[in-house]
Amino acid sequence: MWQQLWTFLFFGALGIFALMSVWVTIGGYRDIKTLLQRLKDDTSEEE
Amino acid sequence: MEEAFSQAVSQTQFGTLDWIIVALYLSISVFIGFGVKKYVRNMSTYLGAGRAVGTCLGIATMTGTEMGLITVMYNAQKGFTGGFAAFHIALAAGIVTFFVGLSGFFVCRLRDMKVLTIPEFYEKRFDRKTRILGGIMLALGGILNMGLFLKVGSMFIVGITGMSAESQALPWVMTLLLLLVLVYTVLGGMISVIITDYVQFVVLSFGILVTTYICIQKLGWTHIMESLETTRGASSFNPLDEGSGFGWSYVAWMAMLGLVSCAIWPTAVARALAMESTQAVKRQYMWSSASFMIRFLIPCFWGICAFVYFNDQAPELGTLFIPTEGGVETANNLYAMPIFLGRILPAGLVGLITAAMIAAFMSTHDSYLLCWSSVITQDILAPMMGRTLSTKARIQLTRLFIVLIGLYILYWGLIYEGSDDIWDYMNVTGAVYFTGAFSLLLGGLYWRRASSTGAFLALLSGLTALLGLDPIQRMVGLKVIDPETGEVTRQIMTGDQVGLLTVAASLAIFVIASLLFPDKQPKSIPTTS
Repeated sequence: MWQQLWTFLFFGALGIFALMSVWVTIGGYRDIKTLLQRLKDDTSEEE
Repeated sequence: MEEAFSQAVSQTQFGTLDWIIVALYLSISVFIGFGVKKYVRNMSTYLGAGRAVGTCLGIATMTGTEMGLITVMYNAQKGFTGGFAAFHIALAAGIVTFFVGLSGFFVCRLRDMKVLTIPEFYEKRFDRKTRILGGIMLALGGILNMGLFLKVGSMFIVGITGMSAESQALPWVMTLLLLLVLVYTVLGGMISVIITDYVQFVVLSFGILVTTYICIQKLGWTHIMESLETTRGASSFNPLDEGSGFGWSYVAWMAMLGLVSCAIWPTAVARALAMESTQAVKRQYMWSSASFMIRFLIPCFWGICAFVYFNDQAPELGTLFIPTEGGVETANNLYAMPIFLGRILPAGLVGLITAAMIAAFMSTHDSYLLCWSSVITQDILAPMMGRTLSTKARIQLTRLFIVLIGLYILYWGLIYEGSDDIWDYMNVTGAVYFTGAFSLLLGGLYWRRASSTGAFLALLSGLTALLGLDPIQRMVGLKVIDPETGEVTRQIMTGDQVGLLTVAASLAIFVIASLLFPDKQPKSIPTTS
């Protein structure tokens, strides 16, 4: 039973992680651009 | 043994191309540190990136921070020694993190209060002295906890590159890596930390997926299972079996640590507090539960693969690393996984995975250094000095403490000689802080009658967790070792049992003291918007 559980857990988590990696790589790049733009705007407001 | 060890580890695939890849990656990290310095203008941007982090970036930075090289190393060690039974640590972490995301337990209420650190919550909910004591306990537990990060991370580098043949390589690598981390953390604060975390996430996630594929391709999943069953039996799959080296109390302790590492540990909570909304916090946690599981699962699997490879295909390494009954002393098994990867990965890929691991090393160090130094500045010194500390002075002080803590971990890594597994060492030292913090968060966020006296005493009780540490256990007689054979002849209580008892004691003290000494003017419980 333990062998089946660990096999299912390992490959299941690996699959989810692979999909998440692609999504986060693309979305994270977009978020960085937004973050830097917000910080830049905040600075210009202060100055 | 030293000669055999040097000869065995020098047979790595790591070459010139790999060094170029590593150098390129390190240059990019330092460049980012310089590049984002212009955005740092106050404590909110320096410590919390202006609370403007989106969901995907939040997941990347949470993963980047929590999947450090130290994590990879201690999990590989657990896999090497405990087999598949060690997978229960991953399962507990994944389930608990998902539950925290689903319910918003602790983190959403903290995010709503707009605090920058957990001790700041202590002051809002209890009083200033609780904040200062909380800051001291947090800094003490946290800094002790990261005491071995530098050494263990450097062991990976020297192991995979084959430098471990050189006796002086380790301290040199430790010093060089520390300098690099200090430069860009001091310069850029949380903004550079978050962006380098993102770069690390990209490199690391693809690197570990490819490496895992190669491990399975070379050894075969079925073969790994069969080999482990033949050599170690059923206990290498069943964590509840006492022969596995884990058992019920250890599994319960891991469930507690699953909650701690995602919802109480300040470096993880800091990511939640930097998110743009509580909904984003929930999404961040639910998705990060896969990362929290993977960060244990994959390195643990690499450790298992190293064991199978040494046992079946590299007998000279098996003799060095796998202990036999009444056999000779073995080499430090922390080197097992990096040496295994250095043998099986092709040139180019071994450089990429090393760069990814250095990335993992750096992203954990930068976050931890920033976290502990900001706690000392914001939660210990600033409350003690009242309003006299300007923003500029706070940033300068935080930078100074980053450097001082860096020097401490270099020193501690060179002198500490406990025999605990790294994971167990970290749990015990971390427990100094989190056992008390668990009580304060639970009571402070969800129990109206929680009082500042109860909080203060609960925090202090966390110090008893140190009784779980190997050198202290030996000193006070909780563990007795035969000086001739080096075997444990008597152990009254294991580290995990001490940890669970400390949690229970802290909660009990908190409740009893709160009922006996209620606050004269109780503060209201925060609610989620």
